[in-house]
Amino acid sequence: MFENIPVEVGLIHEGERIRKNDMHVELGGPSIREKFEIVRVRKDDDITDGSIDIIGPDINDLNEGKSYPVGIIVEISGPKLEKDLEGVIERRIHEYSNYIEGFMHLNQRYDIWIRLSKKSFKKGLNSFTQIGKVMQELFKNELPFIEKIQITFITDPEKIHPFYTEAFAIYDERDARARGLSDEDVDTFYGCALCQSFAPTHVCVITPQRYANCGAISWFDGRAAAGIDPKGPIYAIKKGECLDSEKGEYSGVNESAKIRSMGEVSRVQLYSGFGYPHTSCGCFEGIAFYIPEVEGFGIVLRGFRDKTVNGLGFSTMADSTAGGRQVEGFHGISIEYMRSRKFMHADGGYDRVVWMPLEIKEKIKSFIPEGVYEKIATEKDVSNIPELKEFLVAHQHPVTRLWESVEPSGKTHAHQMSVFSCEDIPITAGGFRIILKNARITAEKIIIQPVKPQQPPGG
Amino acid sequence: MYCLSGLGGIKLRRDGVNLKIKELKSDIAHFRDLSITIGAIARETWVEPMGPTPFPSLTTLRSWDRKLLERYKPFYLPFCDLCCLCTYGKCDLTGNKRGACGIGMAAQQSRTVLLAASIGASTHTAHARELVTHLIGKYGRDLPLNVGGLNVEVEAPHMRLVCGMKPEKLSDLEEALDYCEKQVTQLLAVTHTGQEGNNLDFESKVFHAGMIDHVGMEIADLAQISAFDFPKADPESSLIDLGLGSVNINKPVILVIGHNVPPAAEIIDYLREQDLTTEAEVTGICCTAMDMTRYSAKAKIVGPISWQLRYIRSGVPDVIVIDEQCIRADTLQEAMQIKAPVIATSEKNCCGLPDRTLDDPDDIVADLVSGKSSGALIFDPVKVGEVTVRTAIAIAPKRKKHKVLPSVDELIRIAKKCTLCTLCRRACPNDLPVSYAVKAAAQGNLNGLDELYDDCVGCGRCESACPQKIPVHSLIVTAAEKKTAEETFCIRSGRGAIQDIEIRKVGGPIVLGEIPGIVAFVGCANYPKGSREVAELCMEFAKRRYIVCTSGCAAMSAGMYRNDEGKTAYEMYSGSFEAGGIVNVGSCVSNAHISGAAIKIASIFAKKPLRGNYEEIADYVYNRVGAVGVAWGAMSQKAASIAAGFWRLGIPVVVGPHGTKYRRMLLGRSDKEQDWYVYDTRTGKKVYGGPVPEHLFFAAETKEEAMVMIAKLTMRPNDTSKGRAIKLTNYIDLHRRLIGGMPPDMHLLVRKMADIPLTMKEDIEKILQHMKWTEHEIPDPTLLSRMIHTPKEA
Repeated sequence: MFENIPVEVGLIHEGERIRKNDMHVELGGPSIREKFEIVRVRKDDDITDGSIDIIGPDINDLNEGKSYPVGIIVEISGPKLEKDLEGVIERRIHEYSNYIEGFMHLNQRYDIWIRLSKKSFKKGLNSFTQIGKVMQELFKNELPFIEKIQITFITDPEKIHPFYTEAFAIYDERDARARGLSDEDVDTFYGCALCQSFAPTHVCVITPQRYANCGAISWFDGRAAAGIDPKGPIYAIKKGECLDSEKGEYSGVNESAKIRSMGEVSRVQLYSGFGYPHTSCGCFEGIAFYIPEVEGFGIVLRGFRDKTVNGLGFSTMADSTAGGRQVEGFHGISIEYMRSRKFMHADGGYDRVVWMPLEIKEKIKSFIPEGVYEKIATEKDVSNIPELKEFLVAHQHPVTRLWESVEPSGKTHAHQMSVFSCEDIPITAGGFRIILKNARITAEKIIIQPVKPQQPPGG
Repeated sequence: MYCLSGLGGIKLRRDGVNLKIKELKSDIAHFRDLSITIGAIARETWVEPMGPTPFPSLTTLRSWDRKLLERYKPFYLPFCDLCCLCTYGKCDLTGNKRGACGIGMAAQQSRTVLLAASIGASTHTAHARELVTHLIGKYGRDLPLNVGGLNVEVEAPHMRLVCGMKPEKLSDLEEALDYCEKQVTQLLAVTHTGQEGNNLDFESKVFHAGMIDHVGMEIADLAQISAFDFPKADPESSLIDLGLGSVNINKPVILVIGHNVPPAAEIIDYLREQDLTTEAEVTGICCTAMDMTRYSAKAKIVGPISWQLRYIRSGVPDVIVIDEQCIRADTLQEAMQIKAPVIATSEKNCCGLPDRTLDDPDDIVADLVSGKSSGALIFDPVKVGEVTVRTAIAIAPKRKKHKVLPSVDELIRIAKKCTLCTLCRRACPNDLPVSYAVKAAAQGNLNGLDELYDDCVGCGRCESACPQKIPVHSLIVTAAEKKTAEETFCIRSGRGAIQDIEIRKVGGPIVLGEIPGIVAFVGCANYPKGSREVAELCMEFAKRRYIVCTSGCAAMSAGMYRNDEGKTAYEMYSGSFEAGGIVNVGSCVSNAHISGAAIKIASIFAKKPLRGNYEEIADYVYNRVGAVGVAWGAMSQKAASIAAGFWRLGIPVVVGPHGTKYRRMLLGRSDKEQDWYVYDTRTGKKVYGGPVPEHLFFAAETKEEAMVMIAKLTMRPNDTSKGRAIKLTNYIDLHRRLIGGMPPDMHLLVRKMADIPLTMKEDIEKILQHMKWTEHEIPDPTLLSRMIHTPKEA
């Protein structure tokens, strides 16, 4: 496949790191301002398939040990290609170029950082044409909907600027489109069955406004993957009829879920932690957990090591959440979903969120509606439910309005503690059967002491 | 036991609850002298319902074992053709002959395996019992168990799975121990003359011994982690000094050898209490060393089991404290040579020494320091702590002259006695060219001896064989003195359990094809090529972004190698359970955390109930969790039982070349298509799942062969296409590099076009065409028909 490439090309080189002492040259990276990579979908006629252009010096002409600006423009065409997929395809640059032995590629977009190792340079890897050839081959092989591909490398510091500015404008435009895209705008969602290999009844539904629980697959990713391999683990779901726009229930999603979960899940409400919530596999990034005492949701992420406000840690709650089931009040989520306008929409969105770790609160600050941010408590503010209650009242959190209707009436009664209580206690004695109905034995004090357990049965 | 005070006339009895109510009145009845006896009241805080097989007996899981043994038929390698266990014998069993009792070769070989596995399981169980009893005495019955705080929800996967219990405090472990002890007794009974005659029934019991062994190990490690406050599932546990060269020989040096840590912990405590921590070096060999560094990061590890003889011969240790397991039987004799007193501390290993447990420490110290006694047997760990430290400090100045190896001149002089009879080479378990090295040394060339140092497993058989009484091993160590001085490495302290959260985090990368599998390097240090090979194996798989786990002596070996930058594996790779992490779980008994992690995957991702549910979980692990155990230097009976515990869970094990001496392999036949059918739980149909994992127990001849096999054995029938692609990429790449060419079984391992690694498409497609390959579905696999999904009517 890569007979003319002087070094190996393979997945096993993907994680390769090249240290400064071992590098021949560096492209982009922290010391260089102008660097970028971009994929553009073009008209068929505008592309010369297989061509590789280099604007500026080629690798051979770069000085050893130095850093240079770099731009990589990958232009593709094909009848099935869509502009919406540019971002997804662009991330493959990182993957494919990293397959090349001695070629390290980090980050994406305007942040790229490339190093070429001395060893590979010595072996003859000395031209962008070689890099381009490998990328073209891999792009076409893995993404057969790419019919034509041309690649341009820019290293000329004088000429890179206009390309760089243009790329930036396109990133912005793309981001605006991604953020603006709503579930209503599309007629197809995507499902992912990858986690079913470990959680067989889990059905992941990916929509523009609900990222996969693992945080790794967006609607755009889904669209690309399903386009490449329609019979693969990521598949299209025709949205069908909207049954409930508030809760996010669609006839097509329900039907798909029923089939994919083998009947275990027949309804899915995408934007709710109650009723028919989205199932949770095992690798969700966070959990939205219901706190009945305050009628709100707490959120905890995988990395949070302490107890949350309800006294439980992530692992304990994850145990209740996971396994491909619909669990009311324990809802697996991704961080990206927290940035969505549809986040827990049916339950009140952020108006219903009462607690989350400070770290994530900071991270998603700009996505929390104005006026709510400071009303959500963190581990720095409160450490238990009574404190949380106080905090919410003091900050007039929107959930407190829910409480007004159901103020408890009067004090709770001090019950005498029941030790043994049972509907029936049958006792057999001397041929008689005595049944104590609703028996209750109370005691002033119980002392429980461990004893050496009985020998186990069997064996 | 419930004690109800305030109700008159209640009697407490030891065997349960006995209520006596003198008078009980109500509207409809009037009781006098009502007595209610309740056998036991279990305090139930665990809501999970009990599964089908809590506390399985010898045969409870027989049908599961048979399913595995059907695929992986035992392939016997009689290491010894005779049976000499009873007085009928010796019986020659070759050529289909039967013994006097009627037993055939296959049954006899599997009987020996069962014997070994039972010894292994009993050793860990006995170890756990001693530890739990000691810790209950020291910390009380109610000490809560804590292996990882909030980050570990499933604290005792084996006890949950096998016993159906969820231990919360130290004394809860006793119930599981009772069970293990009972099982081991029965297992051992099976090996008596005139019991089983069928090899597969023996094999099933081997699996049972393995399962019990993992429960025993889990008990031991849970107890010591909780009571001694070892690192609790901490990926960033301390880096510990490792190697002969890291020992400061100017200080009094204490050496502990073995597996059971309380005496070593008491030594450290005594040093702390007396403010002597900086005054003495506490060094260790084998698992006690590992566990001691989990107790104090200042303690040092000399090396794995094979370093015993060379370290003692160096004369460095001033006092040698031994507890139990894998300790050289001639430790006392060796120690006498260097005038270092030995303190034996375990009922299982008394060395013929006088019991001084009740004696005054002053007297014991005086006897040991003066040389009046060459050693003492002390069963009280606290006393061991005091006596050891005081003896070491007092004797060290007197021992200075013993802390040297023979000089080079003396070495040459001794070597001149060699007649080149080559008996030493014949005695060497690895057939090393010992005789020529000694002969060359006689001529002043020490290179041969120096080279032997790397390959030598330190058994000393060459010396016993030498008619000239040449201390061959000492010569080797002397020739390699420069090397030993440079043995300054490091190892990450044993962290114990894998956090539930870490397992959750790797779920995504595994199904997305970013992590090819989990490889665990465990067991002893009986390596044909020193520690280097284990270190290389570890680093190769970490570099390929597998999750690598280590334990025991293998964990030490993994750290005994530095790369070009001078870094050891533990400094290069993270200690997290993640792609490219090298996770040292701890000592031998910590192995339970590795198998435990596989069990936890079922609970974490599929919410499978663990409680008393062994078969279903093993079926899940077998069909889905891409884990492989590697015991490159497996030597002991414990290694046999540890491996068996992995087998019953469906986790394959690869051993080094001498592993064939365990007498049988469990090999699958990829050429027999009919062997590899599984049920697809979705449809209930039997479908071809492919020959994965191909073997359950495999001995590799070389490191290279092992690497290729490890990569292959991480494949499972449930692999997503992306997952299979990354596994194939590594398998093919290793095969090409190390064996040459494309592996011959591509057509069996590729299920769909999407499984084919992107960069190898052309080559593989050609092979598939040639083999007339057709695409087939990826099943939701199970071997159990009861797991077939019954569709719910909506």
